[in-house]
Amino acid sequence: MLLSADRVRLDESAPDRFAAVRRAGEVLVQAGLVEPAYAEAMLERERTLSTYLGEGFCMPHGTDASRAHVIRAGIAVLRFPDGVDWEGETAYVAIAVASASDEHVAVLQQLADVLVDDERAEQLRTATDPQAVLDLLQIEEAASA
Amino acid sequence: MSTTSLSRSVVVGSKVGLHARPAALIAKAVKALDATVSLQKGEKTVVANSPLRIISLGAACGDEVTVLAEGPGAEAALAEIAALVEQDLDAD
Repeated sequence: MLLSADRVRLDESAPDRFAAVRRAGEVLVQAGLVEPAYAEAMLERERTLSTYLGEGFCMPHGTDASRAHVIRAGIAVLRFPDGVDWEGETAYVAIAVASASDEHVAVLQQLADVLVDDERAEQLRTATDPQAVLDLLQIEEAASA
Repeated sequence: MSTTSLSRSVVVGSKVGLHARPAALIAKAVKALDATVSLQKGEKTVVANSPLRIISLGAACGDEVTVLAEGPGAEAALAEIAALVEQDLDAD
C-alpha cells in the first residue's frame, strides 16, 4: 500500500519547515519505509530547494543519492492544523514521499490532479479522519501494482 | 496603455518532465517576474505560479508546451521561462 491509515497524522505541529520535515521523516522511519539516513537527506533536499507545492501543500522527499536508504516505496501524510511557515507561504499538509525510483513522478502527477481541485484540496486540508484522507488520495501504485 | 501578450512553443527538456524540481524552479522564476505566465499543453492551460499547477499539466520530456506571457515584462518573461522549460532542470 502506498498509503495506509497509520501513516496519516492529522494533528501535528512544528515551529518551522525543517521541524516539519524532520517529523515527516520520523513517520517514514517508524513505518519501516526508510532508514534514518533517508530522513536526514529529506532535510538536505529541503535546504537545497523548498518542496512547497502551492495551495498549502508541500512534499518533502529525499535526494537521489539517498535512494539506497528506501526500504519500500510509500507516502505519509502529516497535517499541521496551525500551518507551518514555508518560505513565506503556509503549508497545512505535508505529503512525505519514500521513493527509490522515478515512480514518485507518477504519484506526484496523481496528487497534483487532486490538489488543484479546490474542493478536494480543502477537504484534505481540513480532514479529521484518516480514512477521509485515504479516500481523497486514492493513488494507484506505479508499475509494480 | 496596451497589454503585451506573447506566446512561444517549446519542447520540455527535463528528463522527468515538468515535475518536482523543474516545476519548483519554474514557479520560483515566474513569481519574480513582472508578468503573468501560463503554460499550455493541448487543451489544458495553467498559471505557472505554483509548482502544483505546473505539475498538474502533466508535461513529459519531449512534450511540446506553449509558454504564454502577459504584462509589462512579457517579453523578458517569455524568453526566461521558455529557456527554463527547454533546459534539463533535473540535472544536478
